[in-house]
Amino acid sequence: MLINLEETINLINEGKKLHIAADESLLKQLPKGNWIGGTTPYFISEEGGLLTKERLFVDEIDYAEEIRVEAYGKYNIFQIVEECYDNGLTMLIIPYGSQVATKYAKEAPEVEELLMHPTIGWISGFDLETGGTARVYDGTRGESYTDKAVAMYIKLPEGKSAMINMINIFSDDKTDPIIQFNDNDLSVTNCIVNGQDVNLSEYIRKKGIDIKMPLVADYNGSYINTSIKEVTDSTVSFYAPVFRNIEYRFAVDVEDYAAKFRERINEAGAHRPALSCNCILNYQFGNLKGQKIPPYTGPVTFGEVAYQLLNQTLVYCEILG
Amino acid sequence: MDAVVKEKIEKILYGEIRYTSANLAFNMMISKMQKRLKANSVDMETCMKEMEEFLAKYPIVAKVDLANIAAL
Repeated sequence: MLINLEETINLINEGKKLHIAADESLLKQLPKGNWIGGTTPYFISEEGGLLTKERLFVDEIDYAEEIRVEAYGKYNIFQIVEECYDNGLTMLIIPYGSQVATKYAKEAPEVEELLMHPTIGWISGFDLETGGTARVYDGTRGESYTDKAVAMYIKLPEGKSAMINMINIFSDDKTDPIIQFNDNDLSVTNCIVNGQDVNLSEYIRKKGIDIKMPLVADYNGSYINTSIKEVTDSTVSFYAPVFRNIEYRFAVDVEDYAAKFRERINEAGAHRPALSCNCILNYQFGNLKGQKIPPYTGPVTFGEVAYQLLNQTLVYCEILG
Repeated sequence: MDAVVKEKIEKILYGEIRYTSANLAFNMMISKMQKRLKANSVDMETCMKEMEEFLAKYPIVAKVDLANIAAL
């Protein structure tokens, strides 16, 4: 729910367990309490997509039996798999552009045990018009960071489970060429297209590929996107890494993002998300300002975490049982 | 896990039959195991042990998948 500063402070002072997303100017005014937060002024609310620096998006974590909050840098971020509750949910917020974000993006898919522990989160950001600093907050200690991730460990009552899922509006055309990479990287020069070594920048130019469309990889029927950040004469950089031994294709063009979201949400059936976030690239490229995507409301983020870092995806968590 | 389901999961991991779950983590797990088996970095016994641990940890979530796999 989008609420004002006073209402948020009241919830904190009542001892509620909260997940908060807002502009830095608001987050820095919050008192200590049972909360974590991250910066973004973009949201998908019940009123539709919007930018606001007057209100905060607050999720009450009323399903938690107990919580703990810790901050992690690039050297210890994967301690999250050891320090989480056995039956719980880990909520992770990581600052955009930080080394811990890069480390998480590149290594999370190979971390043993990560899939055993439901992990949802997002990359904090800033107003793209004015610029700013991506920051995360540990409300329990009254600390904020630009170089550390904060994790809230949520213990769930016996008989309850967290399920992390996503809504992805992109898919591939199986007749398109398969693209593969030699390494796990955020920036590449060459790739392998249908077995041939080619320069990816040149390939994109020659094929006239719209770089607003991500690369998609089929993980046993779940499509994982990798969005293109920049194409120069020789290199292509990404918002999330590409991985070796994964087969990619460029996504099929999507005309109306909001309509496609609604279509995919209908296909997925009824869900009651306890938390969700959507990508800034969907907000920008899909003109989601003013668009409603019920029942999914939450921050618009610079990357989404559903176990591993995702791009251009709506991620959500349900509490089952 | 009963023998029939176990055999079907092995077939899924070898890519002989296809099963897509509504659970993202399960799909990621299948994909990860398939990749490892293809690269010969682990054997099927190790994969099945991880699979069983995964499915046993979240019985509420796994119940639907196990029923669906049994019906394949």
